[in-house]
Amino acid sequence: MLTRRVFLRGSAIVMAGMGVAPAWLGRAAAAQSKQRKTLVAIFMRGAADGLNIVVPFGDKNYRELRPTLAIAPPSGQANPNGGPFPVNGGGIDLDGTFALNGAMQPLKSLWDKQQLAIVEATGSPDPSRSHFDAQDSMESGTPGKTTGDGWLNRALPAVGDASTVLRAVALGNQLPRCLRGGHDAIAVNNLQQFNVGDQEAVAIMQNMYSMTTDASLGRTGKDAFEAMKLIRSIQNVGPGVPPVVGGPAGIPQFAQAAEFGRNLQQLARLLKAEVGVEVAFADIGGWDHHGNENQLLPNLLRQFASGIAAFFQEMGDRMEDIVLVTMSEFGRTVQENGNGGTDHGHGSFMMVIGGRVQGGKIYGKWPGLEKEQLFEGRDLAVTTDYRDVLSELVRDHLGQKDVSLVFPGFHPGQPLGLLHV
Amino acid sequence: MKRLVLAIVAAVLTLGAFLGFDHAAGLFTQKLSPEKQIIHALNRLTFGLRPGNVEEVQRIGLAKWIELQLHPDQIPENPVLDAKLKPLETLRMSMTNIVKEYTPQQQGMMAAAPPLLNSLLSQDQLRIVMTGTAEERSEVLKSLSADKRKDVLAGLPQNVLAYTPDFKEEAAEAQKMRQQEMQMENRRRNPQLPDLLNQDQINAARSGNKDQMAALFAYLDPDKRAVVASLLPPASLADFPELRRAAAFKRTPRQVASDDLKQAKIYRAIYSNRQLEEVLVDFWYNHFNVDQDKNTAQVQNLEHLLIGNYERDVIRPYVLGHFKDLLLATARHPAMLYYLDNWQSISPVDLQVGPFAPRRGNFNGQANAILPGPFDRIAHGLNENYGREVMELHTLGVNGGYTQDDVIAVARCFTGWTVTNPDNPQFVFAPFMHDFGEKTVLGHKIRAGGGEQDGLQVIDILAHHPSTAKFISKELAQRFVADDPPQTLVDRMAQTFTKTDGDLRAVLQSMFASPEFFSEGAWQSKIKSPVEMVVSAVRAVNGDTTDTYALVQKVSDLGEPLYGKLEPTGYSNNGETWLSTAAVLGRMNFATALVSGLIPGVKPDFASLAGKDAAAIGRQLLGRDVSEQTAAAINQGIQNRNATAPFIGSLVLVSPDFQRR
Repeated sequence: MLTRRVFLRGSAIVMAGMGVAPAWLGRAAAAQSKQRKTLVAIFMRGAADGLNIVVPFGDKNYRELRPTLAIAPPSGQANPNGGPFPVNGGGIDLDGTFALNGAMQPLKSLWDKQQLAIVEATGSPDPSRSHFDAQDSMESGTPGKTTGDGWLNRALPAVGDASTVLRAVALGNQLPRCLRGGHDAIAVNNLQQFNVGDQEAVAIMQNMYSMTTDASLGRTGKDAFEAMKLIRSIQNVGPGVPPVVGGPAGIPQFAQAAEFGRNLQQLARLLKAEVGVEVAFADIGGWDHHGNENQLLPNLLRQFASGIAAFFQEMGDRMEDIVLVTMSEFGRTVQENGNGGTDHGHGSFMMVIGGRVQGGKIYGKWPGLEKEQLFEGRDLAVTTDYRDVLSELVRDHLGQKDVSLVFPGFHPGQPLGLLHV
Repeated sequence: MKRLVLAIVAAVLTLGAFLGFDHAAGLFTQKLSPEKQIIHALNRLTFGLRPGNVEEVQRIGLAKWIELQLHPDQIPENPVLDAKLKPLETLRMSMTNIVKEYTPQQQGMMAAAPPLLNSLLSQDQLRIVMTGTAEERSEVLKSLSADKRKDVLAGLPQNVLAYTPDFKEEAAEAQKMRQQEMQMENRRRNPQLPDLLNQDQINAARSGNKDQMAALFAYLDPDKRAVVASLLPPASLADFPELRRAAAFKRTPRQVASDDLKQAKIYRAIYSNRQLEEVLVDFWYNHFNVDQDKNTAQVQNLEHLLIGNYERDVIRPYVLGHFKDLLLATARHPAMLYYLDNWQSISPVDLQVGPFAPRRGNFNGQANAILPGPFDRIAHGLNENYGREVMELHTLGVNGGYTQDDVIAVARCFTGWTVTNPDNPQFVFAPFMHDFGEKTVLGHKIRAGGGEQDGLQVIDILAHHPSTAKFISKELAQRFVADDPPQTLVDRMAQTFTKTDGDLRAVLQSMFASPEFFSEGAWQSKIKSPVEMVVSAVRAVNGDTTDTYALVQKVSDLGEPLYGKLEPTGYSNNGETWLSTAAVLGRMNFATALVSGLIPGVKPDFASLAGKDAAAIGRQLLGRDVSEQTAAAINQGIQNRNATAPFIGSLVLVSPDFQRR
């Protein structure tokens, strides 16, 4: 039976073979994808120091336990001479209790427009302080345990008529654990190079991979060829939409964000080309600041914030359909260590950004930094399970009603109310 | 009704899974045929089959060949290799000399430095100009001489200039002139190609063939030659690797040291006769990973200068020795001490007096804050990084049975294990940094007053811990047998490890002699990592390699930048990690480029394939027959076209068959 999906996908491949995509194909794809919601997950690998990123400047324990690392409070005082510079450069005030690290300046406008929400004291009930263990189990969506598939893959709604091969995309060379699983997912490192140069051989290669008895290679190869053809076939979709490959340089802030910016820029291109991306993933590493944190963290934060700000600027009013959520495997010790850095901790923070987000607020219950309030006497405690945040987004944004499929064995608590419904 | 159906389906699936499990375990007991054993041994103990390898192993006998590979000193090295490694000087230098000669000299300011504002204005004037009211600023500026005002205006930031609209035009003029001056100065210090060559010469340099470029370089004097070479893309200098190296030495000398190591690694993987040793060096470097890009406080890019020595003097000598010796050597090497921060981990006990006592003063509005000293390690406190990773990643494994308290205790034991100084990095034990208190590590009491002994005792405890035997055995089995190796094999290897006090050669011997190694379960079960893919392809086509720069780049593009893994886990031993759509397309592109002679520095040998049919070509490149499905796809594809041997060769290298080893 020639379903619409088969027809669309089939004709994409045929049209790609002719090197031409008729305009109606683009319109049809766009019509399918109108109001398609996309969830973008960003993983900060290395245990980002939440306390120096979303700074609890009001808490005296913060400054006492971090004599050299503490970010200065935002200055309330204007310059007495009437000049433009604050007397004491410090954090960017959010709500009188928390401030953003100054290097996160690019995200301030999203906060002001109430499109950025922060959830404090998030984390996993798993007490592991091993990066790799904690990342694996966080991506699996099963604290303390690593499974073969990941939460983001399980979060995908069932395949429908409008589903394309690019519904689950990871930016980078590798497919992350959270996107492995039953649904096919694509890793794209570089859109321009997501192609096989030798077109003569393409048909033969595709044949090899579809006929092989090697299950995992066959599946990956099949996905690669289909994705490649889809990306090539929607090059000339319509006026005003830049071609997916080889478009203009784009917003300069992307360039300030190095590789992370490049990945988000490519994601933006894919999203604007309406190729059917429903979930996407990118990561950014280098947060493991055991020493010299105040020298190293600001640069990384600047890249992180510029990349995300540029991404939303690029998406424009498509922001309404996108929710971006950030997470890290755990936080860092409240007390600084002997080398101007911090060691592995527990509680962390998450950011949720998008047009539908009820932003401009800090969610979650702040556990405090008194000794008896700390986890094992050294780390920020966790008061909101990270799966609470993710289940709410998966349910309310992606429309996946049964969150026990996404986070097995998890019973969500009270919803935080992160999204306008 | 629906529930009944679901129950039946669930039962069937469970049964199927159960049978599947049994089936998988069963595969590891099915022995490979003698022909397959040879190919399997070559796939696992080398970086890929070269033409003639199978015959060589048949001649010597498989068991004897394996035993020989386990004793590399008894294997005469490939004479070709020495010549190729010769220009890579840092491979033979001591760490002290590398640091001395490959550290960039201060060449004076890279860009012309404009006069600083605080040298043009007094403190008060500067304060007023930056933060005063509009009238006050204008006053100060008017009071300056025209020349001085020009310099000041040129240096002010835009948001300050917004407060002085009277001087807008003058400021714009001054800034434009300043910019032009700086551009000219930069151009002088950093000339571009049009500054050095005429158009014809530029064409020859950028797009000429080998002879044209050689003629141009011969014409230029040595200095100018190096500068011109430094302005060309490195890959285009594949025919002039020594010139490229000299040019890079002028610009980024530290990177030359790490580039030498990367290029050597690829050369050795392709040409060395001691293949197992190279595979083991790759494995153990990953296990005791050091990232070349780790930046220490005072010195950017220092690790680039240290990793060559680390691999040569710490990893390579011990890969077939005793694990505890390897562990101790890594613990003491400056590369590891910097990478996992132990060099600056200091006893948390307060040091109140002496040159290393912390200074107190006002900081961030806090009275009596403890200020960081000029050197970070003078700030006191423990750094847990090495203490944790030495147990989690190097010895016991994350489930090996250590606690947070053990992490802290181990970190305390290793305080004082540090480096003399970045200009001449040597291991040194610094008593003033050491925590001399009593500690308990994994149930063992470490007596107070131990000093350097503490760390040695911890090494001893970790090397002999039962979890270490299991963890190391499992990692080796993952690399050499299967992503999920049978527990029976791992247990047996762990027993050998314990019985022989961690003799790695003995552990490998027990692994290669095991039924699981030469089993159907292991056969073709591992996906090649990027470096394995690239090198095995070059070996399969018997590529004559005169330059490995481009190959190093390809390996990085496929996701495994050599010596560049940021996290201390190193690259994964699990083949499935490398499987992704980006990876598959990347490998296809690499294979087709290789075959078309488009990888600079590598010339594939297709003379030996000429006149052969698809099946024969497949057999030569793969070492065995390609699978039915691949053969069918290839034959179908080449039916109606004049398929050359290289084209067929590229299809074989791209096939699913070639992605596994």
